[in-house]
Amino acid sequence: MEMEVNGILVAAHELKAPIAVMRQLAFSLDGLDEHGEEIRSEMIKVSERAIKQVNDLVKIRRLEEGLFEMEPVAVRAVCDDVASELNYLFRENKKTLKINYKNRARLVVANRDLLHSVIYNFLLNAIHYSDSETSSELTVNEKHGKVMISVRDFGPALPSDVWREMKRGFVEKPLSIAMRPGSSGLGLYIASKFSRYMHANVGAVRHRDGTTFYVEVPVSRQASLFGG
Amino acid sequence: MIFVIDDDLVMAKCIADAAKKETRIFSNAIEAMHVLDEELPELIFLDILLTGPDGFTFLNEMVSYSDTAAIPIVVVSSLDFSGKNLSAYGVVGYLSKDTMTPAEIKGYADKYAK
Repeated sequence: MEMEVNGILVAAHELKAPIAVMRQLAFSLDGLDEHGEEIRSEMIKVSERAIKQVNDLVKIRRLEEGLFEMEPVAVRAVCDDVASELNYLFRENKKTLKINYKNRARLVVANRDLLHSVIYNFLLNAIHYSDSETSSELTVNEKHGKVMISVRDFGPALPSDVWREMKRGFVEKPLSIAMRPGSSGLGLYIASKFSRYMHANVGAVRHRDGTTFYVEVPVSRQASLFGG
Repeated sequence: MIFVIDDDLVMAKCIADAAKKETRIFSNAIEAMHVLDEELPELIFLDILLTGPDGFTFLNEMVSYSDTAAIPIVVVSSLDFSGKNLSAYGVVGYLSKDTMTPAEIKGYADKYAK
C-alpha cells in the first residue's frame, strides 16, 4: 500500500508539471478573436481543474503525516467559494446548481482546504453524472450538533457496491463505476479520505433518479461560546 | 536583466515572455552560478525542483556571497510554500506554478528590474 501511495505521488508530480506548462502557454496566446478567447479561457480552466485533482492526490500522502490542522471553518463561505469556482462548468454543461442554506451561519470543526476539496469533488461528480438540463442541489443542514453538507444529483443512481462502501464510511480505493460510465471513482475516494481525516461522516443516499452524497461535520464549540 | 532558472524550458520561456524585460534562461543552478561571476541580474525567478543542485542549494550559495546576497529572488514552484518565510535567503516573493498569472510575473519584473 505504501508503495502504491508513493507511486501515485510520483505520478502526480510528473503529471502536474506539463499541465501547469499548458496553462501558462494558454495565457501566452494573444491576438485571438472572440471564439479563440473562449477556447483559451476553457484551456486555462480545464488545466486548473486537473491541477486541483492532482494536488488532492498529493494531499492524501500529507494526511498520513497529519499536516492538516483542524480549525473553526465557516461552512457557507466554503460552499460559496466552491459553487462560484464551478458555476461556469454547470453552465457549460447546461446544468444548474441550487444552493439551500437551512442552518444558521455556523462554524464547524474541519480543515478548510480538505472540506473545500470534499464539496468540490461532490459537485464535480454531480456535473458529470446528472442528466442535462437538470439542476443539482447543494444543501447545508444542521442536526444534533452536526452540519450536513449534501449534494443531490439527478441522473443514474449510484451502483450498490459503491453505495455499500460509502455506507461503511469510506471508499478504500478508486473504483470503476460501471453504471456511471467513464468514472474512476477518484473524486469519491478523495472525498472519503479527506472526510475520514476530519472525523466527518461521509455517505450516499441512492434515489431512483439520482444520488445524494453527504458529509457531516461537527459544529465548532468554540463558536458557541460567542453565541454562534 | 532578469535570470529565469527552471529545468522546464517551456515554462522558463513563458515566465521570460510574461516578464516583458531582457531575460536570460538557465536550465540548472550551476549554469546560472557560473554566469553570476560575470553578470549580476536585477531579479531572479527561481524554480526549486531543479535537475542537479536544487533551488535551496542555489539560495544558500546566493546568500553566502556579499555581491549576490542582495539580489531579489522570486521562487516559482509547484511546491506549497504557504506560511513559509524565505526572506533570509533574499526571497522577495513566491509564485505558485499552479495558479500564477502573467500579470503577477510582470508585477515582480516591473518592481525590481528596469
